[in-house]
This record gives sequence, structure tokens and C-alpha cells, in this order.
Amino acid sequence: MSITSFSFLCFFAVLLVLYYGIPKRFQWGFLLLVSFAWFMASLKTQDGAWYAVLYPLAAVAAVYFAARLIDRTKEQRVKRAALVCAVLFCIGLLCALKFYRLGPVVPMGISFYTLTLLGYLFDVYYEIGGVQKNYGKLALFGCYFPTLISGPILKYQEMERQLFCGHRFDYRRVTFGMQRMLWGFFKKLVISERMALVANQVFDHYESYAGLEIWIGAVAFTFQLYTDFSGCMDIVLGISECLGIDLPENFNAPFLARTISEYWRRWHISLGNWLREYLFYPLLRTRFFMELPKKLKPRLGKRLSKQIPTFLAMFLLWFAIGYWHGGTWNFIIGSGLLHWFYIVSGELLEPVFVKWRSALRIEKTTRWFLWFSRLRTFFLVTLGLVFFRNAAVPDALRMIGRGFSTFNPQVLINGTLFSLGLDWIEFTIAAVSLLILGVVSLLQQKEGVRQRLERRSILFRWAVLYALLFYVILLGQYGPGYSASEFIYQNFRV
Amino acid sequence: MSREEVFEKLNAVFRDVFDEESITVNDSTTADDIEGWDSLEHINLIAAVESEFGIKFSMGQVVTMKNVGEMADIILQKI
Repeated sequence: MSITSFSFLCFFAVLLVLYYGIPKRFQWGFLLLVSFAWFMASLKTQDGAWYAVLYPLAAVAAVYFAARLIDRTKEQRVKRAALVCAVLFCIGLLCALKFYRLGPVVPMGISFYTLTLLGYLFDVYYEIGGVQKNYGKLALFGCYFPTLISGPILKYQEMERQLFCGHRFDYRRVTFGMQRMLWGFFKKLVISERMALVANQVFDHYESYAGLEIWIGAVAFTFQLYTDFSGCMDIVLGISECLGIDLPENFNAPFLARTISEYWRRWHISLGNWLREYLFYPLLRTRFFMELPKKLKPRLGKRLSKQIPTFLAMFLLWFAIGYWHGGTWNFIIGSGLLHWFYIVSGELLEPVFVKWRSALRIEKTTRWFLWFSRLRTFFLVTLGLVFFRNAAVPDALRMIGRGFSTFNPQVLINGTLFSLGLDWIEFTIAAVSLLILGVVSLLQQKEGVRQRLERRSILFRWAVLYALLFYVILLGQYGPGYSASEFIYQNFRV
Repeated sequence: MSREEVFEKLNAVFRDVFDEESITVNDSTTADDIEGWDSLEHINLIAAVESEFGIKFSMGQVVTMKNVGEMADIILQKI
């Protein structure tokens, strides 16, 4: 069941009524039931066998028993053995099912519940968080249904109380949650599905385009991916907010980032945090990486001897990020190693940039330099996504080559712009919607838009909400009964 | 070692790690207050503090310490 389908909205309405109708102490059990029902329903649409539900249950069991053992024993060796066994089991299951497709299906949300559960286990091992003694509660933490769709990755300490304490119906939170969902539908149905048309047209036929046309397609894909993923997160966080449970934010206006490092603090935040805490830091704390600067210092000096171990560890980190996104080279490069290259070369060239800036008398704090930095970061990200979107690395390289092969700004005025999948009406709708998104993102940086709205008069508030609702209903690319994205792609290919 | 002495030593470590002579840390100093204190430098900082005081932070402490005050508390416990 797609979360942008009409049947999902019906399901959600029934869920809300039941959830707030039952006593608080049964709520977490009810959510557990719904989560696994949701999982089973996804198996049906994937033509998977019922026993695939054993995969998440087994991952929960492995983590559950390892955590309890780590908690009970005093022996450091036993703790470490329990940790290693559970981690290998879960990662092995993830790789076998997701990357090597050895099972009957790829279980829904496997990458997300695996990382969520392992994060919990590491926290118990590092004595950061407490241990959960109830298997059912741990299963709910790992497989809480909104997060199975596409994250965010959860932290146990942040979720523990919220998930299990029960919630009374709170009008403000439920309306806030629904507003957030509406905003997600706006991003997904109005913007993302339109951007997809342009991106598909250009990426699938890149041999027939050149210059600016290529970049229009590439930018369209960047917006498509962002509005699709972050829109989905808005819906997921909104659903959960309606249930009284706050999930961690996964996006914070990533295209306002001035540097690539900042971009990764704003894009897929929960994955970045997870990798930093459970992969990057432990790696840098190993003896090998701790000793490396001392060994390098006599030969390379203070700055480089400190940088090189970090760059090496970052290489492994970005490789992991790229691999996690899909396991093939176009992902490993496009959302991994290319970003590593950006950050490392940026760090190494920083002294040169400082010289340039002082020679050209550029103040880092001026407004135009801020927007220049943002644009540059956006372009670098888009370049990476050209790899991400293409089937293979050679295609991406050829496409980028074509992008630089000619200078043709005339496509903006000679009508070519409206032949890339959107006619002028559709194009205008997309442009206006993107503008709204940009303005709201900027406003959101200072204070939450829903909080601002709350202070306005009731008339203004409802006018805005209804306007957005009808905007989505009228201009959203969807129809009853089928998934929006399938609809677009099907029509497009015919 | 007194708390003041710990902070004096910490000031020296911070100045060295972030290459900025004007840094003075106090109990409530966090990563937001010091330019360049990001997730990468954090690990370098931790390593420098460890070698200065001859101690070792646990992984849990590395990721959960909220400000320099907490760091000083842990150091005082360990030396």
C-alpha cells in the first residue's frame, strides 16, 4: 500500500480512531500489531511468502539476546563476542537479502530496521543506553511501521519513553501531524512527480540532448529525489506525530548548505549520525588510526599527519554510504566516493582558496558569496546525482560530457524548455511550486512554519491550509487506487 | 589536580587543535561556540585531550559529552 494512495488515507483514519479509542497501556501493543500487519501487507504486493516476516523477527531476536547478554555479563570478552555475532548476523542478513537477493523478497525497510536495531545494540555495548527486556517492545522499536517505509533511523534513548508510555488524543499534535503530511503530499505529488517527467525524458535519452538541456534534466532529478525523499519523510513524521510520537528529522533544507560537509549534516541526517557514531568514530578510535598521526608526523608535519588518517577513515565511510544506497558503482561513486573527493580536495585546497579570497577581496560573510557557495554546493551534489540516476558509470560520464559539449542558452527561449516532458502550463506549475518550497524552507530556518501559522487569525490559517489542500488535490499527479509514481512511469513509457 | 588546572590545560589543548590562540573554554562551551569543532575535529580533540591527561575516554563518553564542563568532570574522575 503506497502512502500516497487513497486506501492508505482510509487505513490511517481507522488506525487513528482505534489508537485513541483503546486504553493507553495497550497502545504500544496495538502499534506492534499494526507494524507487522503493515509488513505482511507489503509482502503480498511483492509476491513474497509469509515466512519473510521471520527476517525482521530474527534480526530483533539476535539483537535482543545479544543486548541482554552484554547487560548481564561482566566479562569484556563475552560482551564483545555477543556484539560481533549479532552484528555479523544482521549485516549478513541485510547483504544477503538486499544486495545479493538471496531470499524470496527484499523485506520492507530492511536497511532501516537493521541500522536502528544495531544502533541500540552498540549503545548497550558502549553503556550509553539501557537495555530493553521485553522482546515485543524491542520489536516495535525496530519495526515501528512509519519508519519501515524509508526511515528515519531511530535512536533508542529518544524513542523509549514515547513509544511505550501511551498517548492521549491531543488536538494540536494531530492537526500539526496532518499539516505535515499535507506538506509531504505537496512535495511528492505536485513537485516530485512533475520533476520525474523531465528527469526521465533527459536521462533516458541523454544521447539526444546536449549542454543546458542535460543540466535541466540533472537539476530536475535533484529536485525529484529531494522532494520525493523529504516529502516521504514529512508524511512519515506527520503520521507519527498524529500518534503522539516524535521521530527525528531527516532533512534540514539541504540545498541551503554552503559546503558539502554541511550538506551531509542537512541531508539524510539520521543516516549520517548513525554512520558517524557507530562506524566513523569507532574506526578512528582503533589503535591503527590513533597511532597513524604519530608515525606520519616526522615526515608530513602536523597538519597533514592529522588529516591523512581522517581522510582514510572518511574513504571507508563514504564507500559505506555509497554501498548502502544500492551496492553498485554508480551509487558508490555518486553518493559516496565523489563526495569524499569533494570534501578531501576542499580541505586540501583550503589554503589556496584563502589566498584567492584575500587577493580578490572577497568577504566570506557577504550575501552574494553565501549564495554563490550554496549554488556551487548544489551543482556538486547534482553532478553526483547524475551518477546516482544513470544505470552505469560510463553512461554518467558520457552524459556529463554531453553537458559540457556545447553552450546553448537559447533552449531557454526557443521552446525547447517545454519539450522536455512538461508543457508550459505544467512547467509553470512546477516552477511556482518550487518557489513556494524554497520560500517555506527559508522561513523554516528561523522558526517553524506551522508555529508561525498558529499565531495568525483562524481565517488566515484555514485559508492557507485549504489553499494548499486544494492545490495538492487539483495539481497532484495521482489518481484513486493506484500508486502515483507507477502511474507516471507507466504512462510515460507507453 | 583542581578543576581550574584542568581548564587551563584544556585551553592549551583547544588552542593547539583548532589553531586559534584566543580560545578560552568554560563549563558551558559546546561545539557550536568554536569554529571548526565539527564531527571530524571532535575525534582529534578527544585524542589530544587523552594524550595531554594520560587518560582514555570510553566510546560512550566520546559521543555523549555535551559540553566542556562534562569533559572536565570525566577527566577529574579519571586522573
